[in-house]
Amino acid sequence: MNSDYFVETKDLTKVYSSGRTEVVALKDVNLSLREGRFQGITGPSGSGKSTLMNLLGGLDSPSSGIIKFQGRLISELDREELALYRRYQVGMIFQSFNLISSYTALENVAFPLLFAEVPKKERIERAVEILDLVGLYPRKDHRPSELSGGEQQRAAIARALINRPKLLLADEPTGNLDSKTSAQIVQTLAELNKNQDLTVIMISHEESLLAEYADNIIRLCDGKVVEQETVN
Amino acid sequence: MKFSDYIEQSFLNLRKKKLRTFLTTFGVVIGIGALVCMFAFGKGMQKNMTDSFNKLELFNYLGVFPRSKNGHSDQSPQDPNVQEEAEQQKGFLDDDFILELTKIEGVEWAFPEMRFPAMIRFRSDEEFSLIQVLPAKICQSGILDFRAGTFYTSDEENSLIISDSLLRRLEVKEPEEVVGDRIEVSTLAVDFSLANLPNILSFLGGEGLPLNRQTYTFIIAGVTKRMGMGGPTLMRSDICIPYGTSKRMKKIPLTNISDLFVSSDQSQGYPAAGLKLVSPEYIEPVRKRVKEMGFNTFSLIDQVEGINTVFIFVDLFLFAVGMIGIFVASLGIINTMVMSILERYKEIGVMKAVGASNKDVKKIFLFESGVIGFMGGVFGLALGWIVSIIINAITNYFAVRQGAPYMNYFSFPWWLCLGAIAFSILISLISGIYPTMRAAKVDPVVALRHD
Repeated sequence: MNSDYFVETKDLTKVYSSGRTEVVALKDVNLSLREGRFQGITGPSGSGKSTLMNLLGGLDSPSSGIIKFQGRLISELDREELALYRRYQVGMIFQSFNLISSYTALENVAFPLLFAEVPKKERIERAVEILDLVGLYPRKDHRPSELSGGEQQRAAIARALINRPKLLLADEPTGNLDSKTSAQIVQTLAELNKNQDLTVIMISHEESLLAEYADNIIRLCDGKVVEQETVN
Repeated sequence: MKFSDYIEQSFLNLRKKKLRTFLTTFGVVIGIGALVCMFAFGKGMQKNMTDSFNKLELFNYLGVFPRSKNGHSDQSPQDPNVQEEAEQQKGFLDDDFILELTKIEGVEWAFPEMRFPAMIRFRSDEEFSLIQVLPAKICQSGILDFRAGTFYTSDEENSLIISDSLLRRLEVKEPEEVVGDRIEVSTLAVDFSLANLPNILSFLGGEGLPLNRQTYTFIIAGVTKRMGMGGPTLMRSDICIPYGTSKRMKKIPLTNISDLFVSSDQSQGYPAAGLKLVSPEYIEPVRKRVKEMGFNTFSLIDQVEGINTVFIFVDLFLFAVGMIGIFVASLGIINTMVMSILERYKEIGVMKAVGASNKDVKKIFLFESGVIGFMGGVFGLALGWIVSIIINAITNYFAVRQGAPYMNYFSFPWWLCLGAIAFSILISLISGIYPTMRAAKVDPVVALRHD
């Protein structure tokens, strides 16, 4: 494997077992992604997109194969090291936003800094700064239920970026949004990719959105990479 | 996460479910309150007893008894020379010997331990009591706590000191008003004029004794606060009379039926003597010296260890009863924490996704348990304290009306207060172990998909 790549996978396989039944979610996936790119991943439902995202984000461990991030073997990290990887290296956003309903937007965004042992004053300052960056500062004291879908996803993006990660993983971030808001969100991600030099890997089955903003698109089917395409 | 962040987060999270947190904490409050109350009661009893002993200087008291003729003693001197000296010096507890005792270093007073039964008549009421012979010198030493009047100044006075509890039994409403009044003391004495043949035959049949009643009149010099106590102590009688006066009275100096079995050589001299020492540190050296002189000793300090053992068992029993409440409260904590984890299942997934380690998740929930325990401990302590005040007030209301002195039945030493809070936190943390293990095991991938 070439260590010049930002993210690499080799023969990445994930098998879920349920009793005697085994489901192969990913099979021998080999990827080589460069830093600072906007990478799109698409495919039909059940093709293994989210599984790939969870493995890259350190939320799950592969059944076999390896994952490298900046030359470091992620697939061999223990639980504590994986927690540190998720805390400092990767930010994740999800289709269902996954904001904590009892917290305000500001508290949600500042939440990851608790685990990084950042002092309270600095937590608030950094959260305000990042909320301003995603255009949500005026809504900082609102709870998720008082925000629109687009605003909730912006809050989730702000939370993902609060620890200044190098990689942003977006798992169907527009899945619960209308087309106009979806475009705005993807545009925000593209701007962060360009302006903040943030590597973005985004899953979507809206290929038109990916075609507009992504540098490359990877197509998955039945847990395998079936096509890699450079679009921009 | 920092310690302060864990605390802040715990309060924030618990505040989200106010009613549930209140009910769970209330369970701990009741458990800790009951436990604290019971412990405080046990400690209160122990403290009252120790304080009473200290106040009466009973730890400074050493009783001296003659050895039986057959030399039966469980603490005979081991040194043969000492034993020989003891045999030579073995004698009776008479006035000369008591004077000898006062010369031992550390002995403040020595006095004969003399008590005899008597019937007390004041106005129209009669009560039975033991009379303590107390030399005027000892009486003046401040050993008695006077409620009215004062001590007698001479050993030949026809005065006595009476306790307010006996006066209360004699239907005296205002004990302060009786100082200077006359009081009759009737003793029993052997009457040889009754020793005629029919009477002797009757005595042999066990139908009576050749006794008659002698009545003496005294002036009440002082009224003390309650004196009567059990055990071989100075203060076990309700009346004290001067030594010289007692010598002039015809009486049978028996306080116990077992005194009848005392052998004739032992019946010479006083049955016992009491030594008041300068401080409890002199107990051992004085005891050693007295044994060398051929006498046995008794000290209340010997009994304290046994009493403390009894109190340890009392404490353990009260602890076991109190733990029932704590056990129920801990089930409440486990239930609350498990419910909290189920409700915050997705939140746990979010925590892990943004970089929380399993340890962080465990600590978050463990701190929440700990905060419930802390609040339960603090408020439980307050509840226990309030309940103890109420029980104390009610008990004293009835006890004082029955003639008992006002007492604090509960004691809250600092270690009990801190210990209650620490114990409450500990129990809550133990209760939180299982839920926190469950929280730490949550799979973030599953949790994030959870609706």
